Order: sequence, then structure tokens, then C-alpha cells
Amino acid sequence: MKPQKSKSNQTERAIVFDSGVLISFSMNGITDIIRRLKGIFPGRFLITSEVKREVIDVPLGIKKFELEALKIKALLDDGVLEVPGSLGIKDSEIEKWDNEILGIANSTFNGEGKEIHILDHGEASCLALSKILTDRGIKNLVAIDERTTRLLVERPENLKGIFEERMNTKITIKTQNLKFFRDFRIIRSAELAYVAYKKDLLDLRNGLVLDALLYALKFKGAAISGDEIEQIKKLA
Amino acid sequence: MQERGNVLRIFQETKKAVEIGDSAKIKNLGNQTNNTAALTQDPDNIAAAVIVYSLSKIIERQDYKKLPGWNKFYGIYMGAIDGIIGALKRDDDAAYDKNISVIRIAIEHLSGKLRIYIQDVFRKADINRASKLYEHGLSMEKTASLLGISLFELADYAGSKGLADAPQIKTVDVKARIKMAMEMFE
Repeated sequence: MKPQKSKSNQTERAIVFDSGVLISFSMNGITDIIRRLKGIFPGRFLITSEVKREVIDVPLGIKKFELEALKIKALLDDGVLEVPGSLGIKDSEIEKWDNEILGIANSTFNGEGKEIHILDHGEASCLALSKILTDRGIKNLVAIDERTTRLLVERPENLKGIFEERMNTKITIKTQNLKFFRDFRIIRSAELAYVAYKKDLLDLRNGLVLDALLYALKFKGAAISGDEIEQIKKLA
Repeated sequence: MQERGNVLRIFQETKKAVEIGDSAKIKNLGNQTNNTAALTQDPDNIAAAVIVYSLSKIIERQDYKKLPGWNKFYGIYMGAIDGIIGALKRDDDAAYDKNISVIRIAIEHLSGKLRIYIQDVFRKADINRASKLYEHGLSMEKTASLLGISLFELADYAGSKGLADAPQIKTVDVKARIKMAMEMFE
């Protein structure tokens, strides 16, 4: 199914997809939800080259995940997902900010005199693209399922707590780095599923469908707790 | 290599634990190597975590010992552990790497069911150690790249482990995030 054309200006807003969200949807066999969401979205769904490599190029070479990769590739081929070039944003521009962000993020936490390298190019490229979009006045969200980037942006002190608890060592934070991350706005696959439910985009007609969707996403890596799922269900 | 003294101690204690068949102790030692690996992200530390954890899984399986090729493989594995200990004592990184490779090559030379089982143990050990690094706070993509596994495997494994239920992962209020998402679609 091809996405419907939006009536609004297609470039006024965007959602930047990280690998984890696309993986959660494809492993659950529900990439059609992304198509339908795009159909009602007044803007673009974007993926960076780095994310494309992680969710399409690499898994296409792994038999176990080839089908999932093909499903995501179809989203790109059909224009549901687009590359930043469609907005005139060059990979080199993303790369520049990607490296800048990695430099900042990976020097923020320090344990036993060592900087803890927490992020990789995939997540950093999503934040880089989000920053570029914001600088161009394009309202955007980053859809990201893994918890570390989200914690870095929204509650870095919790990340410090996790490091200290798990690594059994005292962690220091370079607090001046944190302000760089404060303005990113993050959603998860769970919130996209909620939107699809509220906008009546799901085929299944059953009172349990939201519960089933949210838990399915959780079990494929979305960092959402059981408590949060219960709260989301109450809002529906 | 980083944390050489700590890694040496872990391999020495691992060897003693293997001699008395204490797989729980080996698993605990494997977790200790993971703490080190999460902090240093040193490939040698990560290799140590996988080798020690895999050994704990292999030792606890009595049925492997009845399979053809077991005695030879076990001999090579333990010989390599001795080699690793010697290399760490001599600060000889090349010998350390060589002995790690000896184990991987020995797996390739196995045949029949034992080969399938042991390969599976190592693959799962890679994913398990990756999941532990993710649990330690590294991002999913950082972790997958350190262990050389795909994000799909890691997402599947991490999702099944309930890591998201830890209280520290709660950040923005659920209602506020839903509102943010809904507003984008208005």
C-alpha cells in the first residue's frame, strides 16, 4: 500500500527514525502501521544513511533477518521512509554533526579515569539530523527505542546511576556537555503504536489490540516498562 | 590491554573453578569480566568476557562430554586458558590474542553435533555479553558494534530480558510523551 499524499506542506515537520523502532515494527511484522501513519502524517519520515546500513544493508546479508530487512527496504523504496537528501540535507553535513555529537556524548561520563563511550554512529546520526532539521526550522521528533540515548537526553543522572550500580564504580559527569542534548524530543515505537490506535489505523478490532501491540514492541527491544504500558492503556 | 591484572586474576580463578566443575563460579567470573569490558570497551576484555562465559555454559552441560571430539576440544580449550594466563603474566598481548584464536579455530575444526552445540554456545555468549553491556548503560548500537552482532539479535534478546522494567529508565511522563506524538500528527 502506497502512503496517501498529505495536504499540508510536506517539509514542515519530520520524524527521524532510529534503527530500534524500525526493528521493533519489522520483527513484529507490522511495518504496515508505519505506512498508514505516513499516510496521515503532514511531513516526512526520515532515516540516515547510518540507520539504513544497520536496518537494511547489513541484515540483507544475514539469512535470519533478511525478510525483516526487505520489509524495511520496501518502506524506503515506496517513499514511506526517505533519506535526508530529499530535503537537500547532505550526508556530509550529518556526518559532521554525528562526529561532534559522538565526541560530546562519549566524553560526558567518566569512570576510573576513563571516558565511557556510550553512543555509536547510528544514534548519533539521528540526533545530528534532528539538530539540522531544528536549525532549519523544521519541527521534528526522534523515534528511538533504545534507552541509553533517551536517558542521555531526558535524564542523564539516571544513566550515571546505572553506570555506578552496574560497573560498581564512581562515575563523574561533565555537566557542561549535557545542555547540548536537552532540546531533542524523543518518542518510541510505543507512542507511534498509540497514535495508530487512536487514529483508527489498525486492522485488528479487539479490545486487547493496544495491549498486544505495546507488549509485542516491548519484547522486541522497545525500552518501555510494564507500568508505562498500563498508563498508556488508561489514556486510550 | 587494559585491566591486565584483573583479567589475569579472573582467568586464574576460572581455571581453578573448571578443575572442580564449579560452573556457577565461572559464570560469576564472566560477569566480572563484563564489568571491566563495559568500562574499558577494550576488545581484549570483551573477548575474555565471552571466553569465560562460554566456558561456564560448556562446563555445566554433562551431555557434551559424551560426544565425539569432546576430549580433544576440552584439552585445547584448557591449554589455551593456560596460554592466556601465561601471556597475561608476561604482558604478551600477541600471545594472548593467539590463544583466544586457538579456541575459535578449535571450534571450527569440530564436527557433528559438538560443533553445532559449541558454535551455538559462543554465538549465544556473544549476544548475552552484548545484552549485559547494554544493561550496563551502553547504547544498543554501541554494544552491537563492540560484539559484532546484529541489532536485530540484540533487540530480540534485550526485549526478552525485561531490561526496560528497571526504574531508572523512566524519564518523561507517559502522558507528556503521548501528547508530543499526537500533536505531531495533528
